[in-house]
Amino acid sequence: MQLSIHRQFWKLAQRGLLKTLLIMKLTTAFLLAACLSASAKGLSQEVTLSEKNVSLNQIFKEINRQTGYTFVYTESLLEKGKSITINVRNASIEQVLELCFKDQPLTYTILNKMVVVKEKPSISRPDVAENVAPPGIKITGKITNDISDPLSGASVAEKGTNNIAIAKEDGSFEITVAGEKSILLISYVGYESKEISLGNQTTISIKLNPANQALSDIVVVGYGTAKKKDLTGAVASVSSKDFNKGNYATADQLIQGKMSGVQIINNNGQPGNTTTIKIRGNSAMTGTGQPLFVLDGVPLDGRSLLANTNPLNFINPADIASIDVLKDASATAIYGSRAAYGVVIINTKKGQAGITRIEANVTNGVSTIARKIKVLNAQQYRQAITYYNVSPLSDKGGNADALDAITQTGIQQNYNLAVSGGNETGKYRVSLGILDQDGIVRKTGLKKYSAGLATNFKFLESKKLGLDLNVNGSQSLQDIPYTASAPYGLFFAALQWNPTDSLKKADGSFNIRPSGSNANPLALTELQKENLKTSTILASISPYYKFNNWLEYRLQMSINYSSGIRRTSTNQALVPNLLTGAASIGNSELTTQQITHTLSFNKEISPNITLSALAGYEYMKFKMKGFSMSATGRTSTGGFGNYGLDYTNYIQYSDANGRIITSFVDPLTELQSFFGRTMVNLKEKYLLTATIRADGSSKFGKNNRYGYFPSFSAAWVVSNEKFFKPSFVNSFKIRAGWGKTGNQEFPSGASQAKYSFLNNGVIGQVNNPNPDLKWQSDEQYNVGVDFTILHNRVSATIDYFHKTTTDLLFPSFPVQPSSPGSVVRWINLDGNIINKGVEVAINSALIDHSDFSLELGVNATFLKNTVSNFPTAIQTGRLEGLGVTGALIEIMRNGLPANAFYTRKYLGMDKGTGRPILVDDGTTSYYVGDPNPNMLLGVSSTLRYKKLSLVVNMNGVFGNDIFNSTNLNIINVGGINAGRNIALDIYKAPVKESLFNNVTASSRYIEKGNYLRMSNLTLSYNIGDVAKAFKRANVFVTGQNLFIITKYSGFDPEVNVDRSLNGVPSLGIDYAQYPSARTILIGLNFSL
Amino acid sequence: MLRKILILTACILSSLIYSCTKLEERYEGDLTASQVGGSGSSNTTALLEGVYTSLRRTFTNHVEVFALSVQTTDEAMVPTRGPDWDDDGQWRQLHQHKWEETHVKLRDVFNRFGGTIFAATDLLRYNPTQQQEAEARFLRAWSMYWLLDLFDQVPYRDPGESVIQPARIRKGSEALDYIISEIEAIAPALPDGPAYIANKWAAKTLLMKCYLNKGVYANRANPTFSAADMNKVISLADEIINSNKFSFSANYFDNFAPNNTAIGKENIFTQLDVAGVYPDNRMRNTWVLPLHGSQGGSNGVATLPTFYNKFEATDKRRQANYPTTGSPANPGNRVTVGFLVGQQYNLTTDVPLKTNAGLPVIFVPEVKSIETDANLELTGIRPIKYPIDYTNRDSPDNDFVYFRLADVLLMKAEAILRGGTGTSAGIYGNTALAIVNSIRTDPARNASALASINLDVLLDERGRELWWENWRRNDFIRFGKFLLPFEQKNYTSDPKYLVFPIPSEQIAVNTNMKQNTGY
Repeated sequence: MQLSIHRQFWKLAQRGLLKTLLIMKLTTAFLLAACLSASAKGLSQEVTLSEKNVSLNQIFKEINRQTGYTFVYTESLLEKGKSITINVRNASIEQVLELCFKDQPLTYTILNKMVVVKEKPSISRPDVAENVAPPGIKITGKITNDISDPLSGASVAEKGTNNIAIAKEDGSFEITVAGEKSILLISYVGYESKEISLGNQTTISIKLNPANQALSDIVVVGYGTAKKKDLTGAVASVSSKDFNKGNYATADQLIQGKMSGVQIINNNGQPGNTTTIKIRGNSAMTGTGQPLFVLDGVPLDGRSLLANTNPLNFINPADIASIDVLKDASATAIYGSRAAYGVVIINTKKGQAGITRIEANVTNGVSTIARKIKVLNAQQYRQAITYYNVSPLSDKGGNADALDAITQTGIQQNYNLAVSGGNETGKYRVSLGILDQDGIVRKTGLKKYSAGLATNFKFLESKKLGLDLNVNGSQSLQDIPYTASAPYGLFFAALQWNPTDSLKKADGSFNIRPSGSNANPLALTELQKENLKTSTILASISPYYKFNNWLEYRLQMSINYSSGIRRTSTNQALVPNLLTGAASIGNSELTTQQITHTLSFNKEISPNITLSALAGYEYMKFKMKGFSMSATGRTSTGGFGNYGLDYTNYIQYSDANGRIITSFVDPLTELQSFFGRTMVNLKEKYLLTATIRADGSSKFGKNNRYGYFPSFSAAWVVSNEKFFKPSFVNSFKIRAGWGKTGNQEFPSGASQAKYSFLNNGVIGQVNNPNPDLKWQSDEQYNVGVDFTILHNRVSATIDYFHKTTTDLLFPSFPVQPSSPGSVVRWINLDGNIINKGVEVAINSALIDHSDFSLELGVNATFLKNTVSNFPTAIQTGRLEGLGVTGALIEIMRNGLPANAFYTRKYLGMDKGTGRPILVDDGTTSYYVGDPNPNMLLGVSSTLRYKKLSLVVNMNGVFGNDIFNSTNLNIINVGGINAGRNIALDIYKAPVKESLFNNVTASSRYIEKGNYLRMSNLTLSYNIGDVAKAFKRANVFVTGQNLFIITKYSGFDPEVNVDRSLNGVPSLGIDYAQYPSARTILIGLNFSL
Repeated sequence: MLRKILILTACILSSLIYSCTKLEERYEGDLTASQVGGSGSSNTTALLEGVYTSLRRTFTNHVEVFALSVQTTDEAMVPTRGPDWDDDGQWRQLHQHKWEETHVKLRDVFNRFGGTIFAATDLLRYNPTQQQEAEARFLRAWSMYWLLDLFDQVPYRDPGESVIQPARIRKGSEALDYIISEIEAIAPALPDGPAYIANKWAAKTLLMKCYLNKGVYANRANPTFSAADMNKVISLADEIINSNKFSFSANYFDNFAPNNTAIGKENIFTQLDVAGVYPDNRMRNTWVLPLHGSQGGSNGVATLPTFYNKFEATDKRRQANYPTTGSPANPGNRVTVGFLVGQQYNLTTDVPLKTNAGLPVIFVPEVKSIETDANLELTGIRPIKYPIDYTNRDSPDNDFVYFRLADVLLMKAEAILRGGTGTSAGIYGNTALAIVNSIRTDPARNASALASINLDVLLDERGRELWWENWRRNDFIRFGKFLLPFEQKNYTSDPKYLVFPIPSEQIAVNTNMKQNTGY
């Protein structure tokens, strides 16, 4: 059809029916189209009009506003047109134009995104087979998309002429142009147009990149998808091409800094370790406060099977197509009781119909420690011995840099391979991934193997019956520094090691110090092991039946099983007085099963009203169980010995008396839910959404087993109103919503009495049951605007939210007498945590030429957090280590932010005594800092010149404080008196600190946590197709964590060590954790 | 259309079949109350074992009851050693009588005894045997006695009562009367032994404590002692003595040795520890806390010089070389138990120990509440009451001793001094002086006989005999010494410190609980 239009158009031009003016307009229009196609992208292809007796001119303007289609006409031509009355909803542009031109003396043709208006021909159409081409050079070529699929129907036009050709089914085209100076304009709906100077080429292949489809994008919402333009809630979405570049072990790191309102903290630098995710502030009084993760429709359990292991490790980042974050309650309430901390929806890549394609990518790189904590070197240590007048015996005469000795240049390799293809009735994608990442600390690292299968089938002649099937399997092996506390914690040992003492003796053996001295950090890396192995499989099957084009039933069943094995061993050579050694093996298993039925309805019930509705039922079952054993070597037979084998491999050799065995099965937790959603679209101007979910959980007491989570939201597309005039604003939408969500993140077995089998034939009640326990409630208001301006070049979203958490599920104090050893009694605490803030996200295509483009995205979040109406202050932030046993430094108290630092106030160092001056002599605690940031910032930019592109991602956190417990009790001044190392800052301080100062928590150790990080910078070169075999080849160099701007003195201001107390989480405490890496990677992507 | 309706109906039906569970919480590795009660007496044995277990950490950990009852006196102190042992001032507050209701040790101890009271009460719901019931009620009375002694208030509930509701409270003398009535009610059903389970003789010793301290719980600031109560103490002592079950051990430290289950002849009531078996056994802390880092310790608690100086040089209770199974050769015949003072040695090679910074490890007696000198690691005399179990250092075999014959004898002597009538029982004499001297001159102690005795002398003797056995605060209050100045507390404390405050958490959650006067 397009071909015939082209020909017809060509004929018309030949016959001079178009006036000079029109031709001139056409030329400009072509240029304009080239620019606009990038910016017009994103607009709807659907039109809604309700006009009475208006001129064609006005109608055209309106269609242009809604669709971005440009109209080409002469003034005189249009004067011939009649006024019209029209009333359509969600009609295609063709339908609308058909109506507009009905009974008009005019007709039109659509060319790319241009509507050319002309007079109705008075003569009958000539035979289309006729082909009259102008003389010139014949050019042949092929047009494909970014993944080398042919773009049938793409148009190739000779710039400045009416000469146009259309690509055939295989993407090939043929056009005869005037000469070598001719310029070709290639365009296709949904893709960025391209301009090509021919020169002496006669054969060219052209690749078009998909247009940035910001507004028309489909976003994933709970149990379905929606067009972004129809959204009434706050949802942020990032697709794979915008992910952070580089090697990431887990999915969450891909979107760090990419979304407003979402703070992602890598708890430390260890490969594969956990992250803390806070969506819209800090409201967790208990549990992790992590959002609910939903992978391809399967809500995940989210618990870590093993400490220091990220539960998202099993998803291969290379398989992820998009990550959507539901932020406000109107978006999350459909997930009810698990949505209080937001919902993160991860969808994996699926097969595409078409030729079978193999995609491969290889990334290799090296990483090194990014920042070190400054302690004294050997020379400074010798000077310090004199300066502080400590025993000269502390100078051991050697020279060692312990931190240097335990760190290494880590090599990392990442290989991913995916095969995909299929046809209309069956599509598949199979993927494999291997990540082998050395840590920057000796003997640590992560190996991860993953495999994925995604298939989509359609059955019956009608294709009404379908089946989606996904399987993800993965195994990750982590070697981590043994998670022991001082003095055997690796980083404590390294920071405290006397730099004048050698780490190895002359004979090459480790210099193991006598008991009570420092552990040798280098020996720790060799002689103390902790290995974690996690194997996960997630399979889901989802048959669906489309009754007709408005009603669909879908069933989803899934099973997610993971098993974690933790093995630790301490070689007996490490501890001189205890020649036994120790070993432990632990296993835990987590199984989650889900079954979901949904019935969705989507219909235009009247020309002005479209209704979509969803009803569903979901049942989930969570099981966790495990066992562990630990043992020490038998003294009489020389302990475990030095046979060079891992002690966990022969744990039965241990001393029978010292064996500890445990096993557990968590109570089966069941969650049963009924949910529904209705979305109404009135005239494309007014959008209403209402959702409700009823969740029942076996965890709660009989009286309060069900919780109800409603939400309502509305949006007004102001730019679709007639009165909306400003021409530089292309779209403008206002959203408002309210909703309630909940939290059921507390241990099962809290509402009825639980007797456990304890050690040595003991049965005892282990909980303090509360049969009245009910749901925590999180209530959130959200108001937002979305708009695009300057020909859609700039799009922005601004949201204000106000979230109140009440009936906090809280591990309160038991009322004595109560069950022995159980220090908590779960209650619903009266009290509110309020998080409010503003989120701004702006994306812009600053420059958009075919050879040169610059895109810039900035997101910023401003947060405020307050605790109120608590009946009593609640303390957490339990410090650990020499001198601080029992010290608590955080408080939940009315009027303060959550987790406020609450400790002694430090005024400075007394010049005379070298002792710290504390307000009130340290007997009173004050609010001295806030671990919650008040601003988050993310910046991403892509600069492209021809085939070369540079992607920059930065993120920053501002306004938060960090309590640096490393400085307080690992490298304090007293260390040098005990033959340990101390912080360089203390030695260099203008006031000489007394060696004998107590280790006392105070505001002295609170530091600003502000930082701005160059999180990744990627320079890539798009080679394109190489020979016939390799397609889409792309080479790149990426720097991860290249630099960080901060005044923080620890390894990394992005840190969160768990110092919770009785389940009340802590925030912003540092305690010499695994340092962060700086990584340089080179990589190659290609497909076959 | 009909087909569609059918399919839709089928779908909805299938979803209904699969759905709508009742959401009953099912335990798979644990039991509900009805499952515990369902299967006869073996469960009550396991429940009773749980009551014993609930006490183990309370006492063996040496930072709980020990912190409140010993560190608050002249017997011990944990000095802040420069960078170490500040711990938010908690140790200093105890020794210097400056604790508040938020003190972490108060909370821990209150919770531990509350746990034992709960577990013992709960057992009564499940049809225990008469002896099981008696043992559980004794352990409950024992815990209540400690809560009374430390906090003056004892919360209680009936078996099966909800733990969500506020518990009821007994205070002071009312609580004591209840404890006495309980012990008397159950004593006949208690077994004769062994020492590590609740037994008749333990019950009698606890009754002695009750009668001896009756005046204290009536008025801690000015206790008075009735002759009737004192005679009750004496007659209970005589019953214990005349049972002939208990006698002096060959070595004073046998009572505390790793194999004290077998050789501790004086022990009347103990907490059983079996090497490597009980994960909640924290007996290692008795030596880890005082020893220096070079000895494998954490360099914490120390004795004050005045207390140490109460001993004669020949007194074998002060220090000894006490070899145990697996202990190092000790070629220099160095002191291994009792109070460690002066240069310390590697017990295998006899090489003098050095600190990490290279200083000789010489313990000096003088110790300050906050140490700020170059030898801050080395101040204070380090007491080792329980000989180190070298073969099971982390989970030792030493049973923790609650009641001992010597305590019974000293209580009898005290009762005589406080107006009771002397009686003759066993070989120990019928006067306070004779009884005390029979202990002192026992070859296992080897102290000289005293010429005369009064209450102050008796208090000192209790200190020498029962050091590290958790009775110093109780004694000090009864003898009117608790508030007076002692080393590193050079002032008279406010009388409110005679009882500890109720932990603030309990005040917050239990509306029946009122804070003790002055806090």
